Amino acid sequence: MDKSASRLKLLALLVALMFAGLSARLWYLQVLASEKYVEAQNNNLVKIVRTEAPRGRILDAKGHVIVGNRASTEVLVEQQKLGDDPEAVLYRLSQLLHVPVRSIVDALGNKQYYEYEPIPVAVDVPQDYIAYIAEHRDDFPGVSWTDASVRTYPYGSLAAHILGSLGRLTPEQTDDPHYKDYSPSDLIGQSGLESEYERFLRGQKGYRKLLLNAAGELIRTLGEQEARPGLDIRLYLNTHLQGLVETQLREGILKARSVSEQNTGLLKATSGAVVVLDPHTFGVEAIASYPTFDPKWFVGGITEQRLADLKRPTAHAPLFSRATQAEIPPGSTFKPFIALSAIKRGIATLGGYYPCPPEFIYGTDTLHPFHNWSSSNLGSLTLHTALQRSCDTVFYKFGADFYDKYFADNSLGKAREPLQEDLTRLFGFGRDTGIDLPSEQPGLVPTAAWKAEYAKANPQLFNPDQRTWLPADDILMSIGQGFVTVTPLQLASAYAAIANDGKLCAPRLAAAVQDANGDDVRAIKGGPCRKLPFTHEQLSYIRGSLESVLHSPGTAAGAFAGFPFSQVAVSGKTGTAQREPFQDTSWFVAMVGGTIDDPDHIIVVMVEEGGHGSTTAAPIARSIIEQMYGLESGAQVIGGETTD
Amino acid sequence: MDLVASRAYVDERRPIRHLDPVLMLTAIALVVAGFLLVYSATRRSLEQFGDDPGLFLKKQIVFALIGMVLLLFVASFDYRFYKVYAGFAYVGTIVALVLVQTPLGSSSAGAQRWFEFAGFQVTPSEFAKIALILMLASVFSEMRSVQPTMVDVVRAIGFAALPMLLVLIQPDIGTSIVLAAILGGILVVAGTKPRHLAALALAGVLLIGGIFRLHVIQEYQLDRLRTFLDQEGAPAALRYNLEQSLIAIGSGGITGQGYLQGRLTNLDFVPEQHTDFIFTAAGEEFGFVGSTVILLLFAVLLWRAIRISYLSKDPFGTYLAAGVASMFAIQMFVNIGMTIGIMPITGIPLPFVSYGGSAMLANLAGVGLLLNVHMRRFK
Repeated sequence: MDKSASRLKLLALLVALMFAGLSARLWYLQVLASEKYVEAQNNNLVKIVRTEAPRGRILDAKGHVIVGNRASTEVLVEQQKLGDDPEAVLYRLSQLLHVPVRSIVDALGNKQYYEYEPIPVAVDVPQDYIAYIAEHRDDFPGVSWTDASVRTYPYGSLAAHILGSLGRLTPEQTDDPHYKDYSPSDLIGQSGLESEYERFLRGQKGYRKLLLNAAGELIRTLGEQEARPGLDIRLYLNTHLQGLVETQLREGILKARSVSEQNTGLLKATSGAVVVLDPHTFGVEAIASYPTFDPKWFVGGITEQRLADLKRPTAHAPLFSRATQAEIPPGSTFKPFIALSAIKRGIATLGGYYPCPPEFIYGTDTLHPFHNWSSSNLGSLTLHTALQRSCDTVFYKFGADFYDKYFADNSLGKAREPLQEDLTRLFGFGRDTGIDLPSEQPGLVPTAAWKAEYAKANPQLFNPDQRTWLPADDILMSIGQGFVTVTPLQLASAYAAIANDGKLCAPRLAAAVQDANGDDVRAIKGGPCRKLPFTHEQLSYIRGSLESVLHSPGTAAGAFAGFPFSQVAVSGKTGTAQREPFQDTSWFVAMVGGTIDDPDHIIVVMVEEGGHGSTTAAPIARSIIEQMYGLESGAQVIGGETTD
Repeated sequence: MDLVASRAYVDERRPIRHLDPVLMLTAIALVVAGFLLVYSATRRSLEQFGDDPGLFLKKQIVFALIGMVLLLFVASFDYRFYKVYAGFAYVGTIVALVLVQTPLGSSSAGAQRWFEFAGFQVTPSEFAKIALILMLASVFSEMRSVQPTMVDVVRAIGFAALPMLLVLIQPDIGTSIVLAAILGGILVVAGTKPRHLAALALAGVLLIGGIFRLHVIQEYQLDRLRTFLDQEGAPAALRYNLEQSLIAIGSGGITGQGYLQGRLTNLDFVPEQHTDFIFTAAGEEFGFVGSTVILLLFAVLLWRAIRISYLSKDPFGTYLAAGVASMFAIQMFVNIGMTIGIMPITGIPLPFVSYGGSAMLANLAGVGLLLNVHMRRFK
C-alpha cells in the first residue's frame, strides 16, 4: 500500500508525539520533581475514627443481667487547643465536674496519647454539665465530649468480687504486644471476669479510615467497617442463690460477733466466704466473700476517699476475694483427704481400728504431746467414726506414720513425701484450681524443701533445731494445721471430687458465650479434669462417714439438730483452724441434695475469727441449705455447740 | 513442483507461519504487567474486607485466557470475510448500545453501562470500538476514488456518530473519545483532504461546546474537566484523584518504591487504581524505569500495528490495522496522560493492563485482527 505509506507516516508521527509528551511529563514528575511528591506523600494524613462496640454483658445461669451497659458521656480535653490560659480552663472544668484539678492534670499527663489526641478526663458525666459546657464553649476551649457507655450492676454488689472492673491500659500493657489493638483511651477488663473474658466481651470497634490533607480537611473516606458488639458471658452462677448466700453469710457473721467462746471471749468474725459448686459440672453456682463492696464505685475510677475507706484496717479488706484468695489452714475439713491418702499409702484401711486418746505422744517425746480437741478418751475408732467425731489423735498417728514410714526412710526409690504428693497431685491443694479468673491463690502444701527455704528466709521464726522437716510437721498437717493452707474454692473442688466419685476438674464460672439473641455462640471449655485413683467403695465410705458427721455423735449434729434430712440429703465436715494470733477460723463443708452417694451441690463456708466450725460456719451452711430448698426454718442460730 | 515452489505453496496455505511474534509477545508482556499491577493495587483492600487478596488477579487471569481464545478465533478466519460481516457487527453493537439504556442494562453512578450475564459484566461500548473499526475499514475499502470524497467522509462520520452519541449519553465520555480517534485515524490513513480534516476538527470543537451547553454530560464530568483546567482552584475533593495520582507517580522517583511497597498503592489512596488509574501503581512501585518500560511496550505494539497496516496487501487490511492502532494509541495516551495531569480525567482504561473483562476481550480481539492481517499479507 504505497499510496497510504505517507499517511501512515503521519499517523506514526502523531503516535510519536504522544510518546514524546508522556515521556517528557514522566521525566519531570519522576525524576526532576520527585522530591516534591515524596514530601506530598508524607503530608497525606490518614485519620481513623472509631465507633465503639457495645461491650458484652455478664449474665447469670438464667440470663439475668449481672453486668450491663448504660449510655453515658465522657469529657475529653485536647491540650493543644486549651488556649492562652489552660490552667483557668482546667480549673473551671474541675469546678463544674467536681473532679479535682490534680486528677485532670494527671490524666492529661498520660504519655500514651499523642499530643493532638483528646484525652478523657472524666467519665459518666451528667447531661446538665455537658449542656453547660455546650452553652459556654468560649470558657472551655479544647474541651469536648463523646458517648461512652459505662457498666451497670442491676444487682448492686452481688458477686462483686468475681466481676472485676474496667480500666484504661496500664503503662505495662501499653508496652505489651498483646494489647497492640487497644488505644490508650480504651477501657479493658483489668480484673475478674471482665479481664478473663475480655476477648469475648470486648467486641470489635468499627472504624472509618479518613484521608485528610495537610490542612486537616476531609478529602475522602478510605474504608469503613461496622462495629461488632461484644458477646455476652453466661455464668453458672444463679443470682437467686448468690443473693441468699451473701445474705446468710453476712447475717451469720454479724450474729457471730455477739457470740462468745470459752477461751477467746466475744468472736470477732471479721470476714468470710462461701462457695457453692456443682460437683458434676464444676460450675460455680455461688461465690461470695464478706465484707464486700459495690462494683459501681470503680466505674470511671474509684475516688481516693473511697479507696482510703476500703483500705482502713477496720474495714477488713472488702476488695479481697476471700473465696478464691484467702489462704487459711483447713483444719479438720482436711481429714477426708488425709484418710484417703493414708488408705492409698497403706497407713490406714477401711476395716481398721485406731485409738483416739486425749493426746498423742510422738515416740518418747512426752514433753510435747499433741492434744485432741476433746479431752475424753473415745477408745478405738473406725475411720468412719474418727471422721464423724473428727478425732485429731487418730490423724496425728497417720501423720507420724507418714513421717516414719516414708520421710524418715531413706531407702532408694521410695517416695519420701507421698502425703504431699497426694494432696497436691490428686486433690489439687497447694496449686491453682484453674478457675476462670485471672487471680487466685494456690494455698500451700508444705514440703521439706519448702520448709528449708522458708526457714532460711525467716530464721527468726524457728529455733535452730526446727528448721528442717520434723515429725510435727507431718503430724500437724494431718489435721489441717501447721503450715498447710487452702482457699475455700480449693476445698470446694476437692470435696466435689469426693462427691462425684473421684473426678477433679478446674471449676468454671462461665458456662457459655452467647450473642445478643441469647444463642450460644460457643461453649466455654470445661476445666481440665483428672480421675482420682480411689475405688467407689473407698469414696462411698468417706461420703458415708461425712453423713454421720451431721448425726449424733458427729461434730455437726448440734448445728443440724432437727434438720429434715428426709427431704434434703446433707453430709459434711466441720473444721476449726487455729491461726495465731487470730481467733480460730470456722469451716464447714456440706455436700447437699441428690443422695448421699451422689450429691448435687458442694457448699463451703469459711468465717475468719468465727470460732469453731460448728459455732458459725455450720449454722450458716444450714440456713443456706434451708433457703435453697425452701425448707421451714427458724432464724439462723449462730453459736450453740462448740465442736471442732 | 520444485522445492521452492512447494515451500511457497505451504507458506501460502499456512498463514500461521506469518504470525507476528513480536506483536504477540508485546501484548502478552503488557497483560502480564497488568497482572502484577492489578494484584498490587487490589490485594490490600481485598484483605481488609476479609476477601482473597488474589481475587481480582485471578479474575483478570481468567479474562486474559478467554481473551487469548478470542484472539486465536479472530485470527484464524481470513479477515476479508469480516468485511462481509462488518455490517452485522455494527448493527448488532448499535442494538446492544440501545438495549443497555433500557432496564436490561445496569449502571452505577457515572460509569459505563453494562449487561449482567451470569455474574459477568459485559460492556457493549468496549465492543463498539471493534465494530466501528470493522465498519469504517469496510466503508473506505469500497471507496471508488483514490481520495475520500465529501460524501465518503460524511458517510463515515455518520457511521461513527451514531455509536459515539449512544456511548456519550451513557454517559461515557472516554469511549466517545476513543471512537472519535478511530474515525480520525482511519480518515487520515484513507487520505482525507486536509481541509476536510480541518473542517471536521472545527465541527468537533463546536459539537463539544454544544454538548456542554445542552448538559448532555454530567456535572461531575464538567468538574473533572475544570479540575484539569484549573488545578489550584478546584475543590479539595475533586483535586483528590489527580493529586493522589501525581503524588503516587511522582514519589516513585527513578526506580520506584519496590513491588508491593508503594505507600499510596498499599493504603488504597488512589481511587479506581486497579482500573483507570492502574498506571499509578507502576509509577509508584517501579518508578520512571517501570513507567518507561510500559511506554516502550506500547511503542513496540503501535510500531507493529502501523507496520502491519503498511504491509497489508489490501485496503481493508490497511484500514483495519490503522483503526486498531488508533484505538490502542488514543487509549494509552489519554489514560496515562490523565494520570500524569496532561489530559482530563475520563474513564478510559489502559489497554491490556487495567482490570476489566470486556476491555481485555476487545483489546485482544484487536490484536487478533492485527495478527490476521499480518498472517495473510501474502495471500
